Amino acid sequence: MNRKKLPKAGIIIENLVKKYGTFTAIDNISLEVNAGQIFGFLGPNGAGKTTTIKILAGLLKPDIGNVLINGFNLAEEPVMCKLHTGYIPDRPFLYEKLTGDEFLRFIASLYNLSTETFEKNVDRLLTLFDLTDWQDHLIESYSHGMRQKLIMTSVFMLETPTIIVDEPMIGLDPKSARIVKELFKNHARTGGSIFLSTHSLEVAEELCDRIAIILNGRIKAVGDMESLRKEARLETSDLEEVFLELTEAEELTEVIVALKNME
Amino acid sequence: MSILQYGTRRTLLLPMLLSAKNRFFPTGSFPIKAMGAGIFCLVLCTVIFNVTLRVITYFHAQNELGVILSLKIFQMAWILIFAMLIFSCMVSAVSSVYLSQDNEIVFSAPITTPELYFMRYTSNTIYTSWMMIIFSLPLFASYGIVFQTPPLYWLLMVITLISMACSATCLGLLITVILINIFPARHTKDIILYLSLCFGVMILFLIRLLKPEDMVHFDKYGFLIDHLSKISKPAAPYIPAGWAANFLSLYLLDLEIDWLLLGLILLTPFALYFLGEGAMKMWFFPGYSKSQESFGGNTKFGEKRKYLPNTWQWVFSKEFKIFTRDSSEWSQLFMIAALVVIYLYNFKLLPIERASFSEEFITNLIAFLNIGLAGFIITSLSARFVFPSIGAEGGAFYHIRSSPLSIRRFLMYKYLFYVIPFTFLSLTLIIISNRILHIEGPMWWISFLINLFITWIVVALALGFGAVHADFKSENRTVTMGSMGAIMFILTATALQIVIIFIGANPVYRIVRRWLNDHVLNLSDLYFLIAWVLISVVISLGLGIYYFRKGIHTLENS
Repeated sequence: MNRKKLPKAGIIIENLVKKYGTFTAIDNISLEVNAGQIFGFLGPNGAGKTTTIKILAGLLKPDIGNVLINGFNLAEEPVMCKLHTGYIPDRPFLYEKLTGDEFLRFIASLYNLSTETFEKNVDRLLTLFDLTDWQDHLIESYSHGMRQKLIMTSVFMLETPTIIVDEPMIGLDPKSARIVKELFKNHARTGGSIFLSTHSLEVAEELCDRIAIILNGRIKAVGDMESLRKEARLETSDLEEVFLELTEAEELTEVIVALKNME
Repeated sequence: MSILQYGTRRTLLLPMLLSAKNRFFPTGSFPIKAMGAGIFCLVLCTVIFNVTLRVITYFHAQNELGVILSLKIFQMAWILIFAMLIFSCMVSAVSSVYLSQDNEIVFSAPITTPELYFMRYTSNTIYTSWMMIIFSLPLFASYGIVFQTPPLYWLLMVITLISMACSATCLGLLITVILINIFPARHTKDIILYLSLCFGVMILFLIRLLKPEDMVHFDKYGFLIDHLSKISKPAAPYIPAGWAANFLSLYLLDLEIDWLLLGLILLTPFALYFLGEGAMKMWFFPGYSKSQESFGGNTKFGEKRKYLPNTWQWVFSKEFKIFTRDSSEWSQLFMIAALVVIYLYNFKLLPIERASFSEEFITNLIAFLNIGLAGFIITSLSARFVFPSIGAEGGAFYHIRSSPLSIRRFLMYKYLFYVIPFTFLSLTLIIISNRILHIEGPMWWISFLINLFITWIVVALALGFGAVHADFKSENRTVTMGSMGAIMFILTATALQIVIIFIGANPVYRIVRRWLNDHVLNLSDLYFLIAWVLISVVISLGLGIYYFRKGIHTLENS
């Protein structure tokens, strides 16, 4: 894929609603991720993060609302949107009976990746993730972390302008986690955009230019660290305290006190 | 044994019992699944009972040889069921004892090896033998009716059946524990799979090559006494199935109880259980630690070639590699090869010369009906291989969904991947059977073309139904084959073929009759034939396209 021909990276989410029966998983959310930006998407369990991510990756259809990826409407031009988007899920489902190398070639073919881009990227990424010696082994013999690194390799080799990622650091060793962070930063530096959902507040604080906090399917707060602190009226606190304040986890203080008393 | 240990054993069975309860009797809703399964079992049991009753009554009504033959079938059934139970227990034991997903929770809990053995033994016995017990009950019960035994036979039969099932599963588990100590679990699973397949193929050939239809033609045997003495010998006196068969045969014939055999039948499961427990104590943990090795182990696969972007080629390559590297998939090819050989061999054995019609007419009629038969084989194999192929993508299907490859194109590639070998198989069946039957002229072309067409439509239907009813969480394709979606597919494809054959009977008859009599083709007959072909094409294409599109729609909106 030739990056130069692609339009400017970015995601626009407009009034997105998704219901499962009577349960509203996403309730009218609107967000914007600009080119060159790493956008953090935080929220407690069941808040609607994965549903949003799956909609952005084209795996779920929203009931109402629009998603624009790099200027293409996801509902009208899904193939173009997918061509410009790399998706890293939280659980590394792979084809167990393929080798790592075969899997990468398969994925590259799905995206019609050019031979030059494939050859330029794959060896470098496999070496970065210490997977070179494992590339000809069946994926079924890979550990959880190795699977996650293989998926990372498959997404970064595509050079898509937009990357959507759900819990990127699960199962990664510290070295690989560091590499992934650098790859993310580098991707943003070169004009790409990343939509990143995570529970790790350290990762979000370190990587993200802007952060949205979702609660019960609604956006509770959006902005950079500074504006979030202001909104939570905790101007000298870290993201953990801001997050707990904004997600209304007041009962947590009582739990912590109770646990301390048990000691 | 302390009360606590009894408690642990009961607790260990809870996941299995509660899962079954939640599956069949969900709280707060009507137990539809339980009702459906119950009705299905009842219907199947009734069918088995009636068919067996008719066959045994027929044998019984003959002279003494008929009675001996019916008891021979009785003994063969016991031995066959026993062997099948051992093999299915071995396959299941590798998965449930060594590769099960709950192993990490169970093994890290403070439970002893005998408790673990009890848990795995009980669940294995229930999983592998419940179906065999339920469906063999009507089979053996029909003997009680025909031989007019007192009610004690029923009690003895049930006890013997349960005891034999317990012995078979004990033996299966024991062999598995020993095998896994020698080979890694995944290799053992493959070995057992090959063994059970060889066993299945052997049984198929044995039944076919024995020509059971000749057993009632006593004139085929030169020396009746030799034959009689050969088949009236007691069956396999050294295995539990032989004891069960001989014990019940004796009761059926003379209403006598052989106490030695009864003792053996009752005590063997306990003896084997404790032997298995001992084996588990000695060899379980070394085997379990070996079981973590993958199919490939440290083996490297593939050779480096230059990457060239070609989507269809890589979808084909992926399907092919996954198929050939999964022993539970490719090993089925042996079974298919055996089926094809037996299928074609049957045409050689057809007693066409005994028919009262012209031989040519009969062979042409068989060739016409063979369209349905070959179609049914294609349907069954599609249910086994094509229908589950979408669900078999599993969690990895998101790679396809999130890629720029459209679902329509993906299904098209899948279709092309499967339709090629199925076309080859279908044509092999038709061309060789036509050759054996010496079919020439219009029937050759009719059977050739219609079968080709049916194959293409059936594969499309299988894929469409497979997409609509895709189960991405199913762990293996064999389970998917028994799902409601698969049954719906088989019914739809079979109904389509029946309709095609039914409406084609008259036009084909007209054209073939004229060809056989005068070796000419009449124009009006041809019009009828063309009309039939057109109607069949419209119905089939309509159905095929409808389900294919429905599959695409379901996957896109799932």
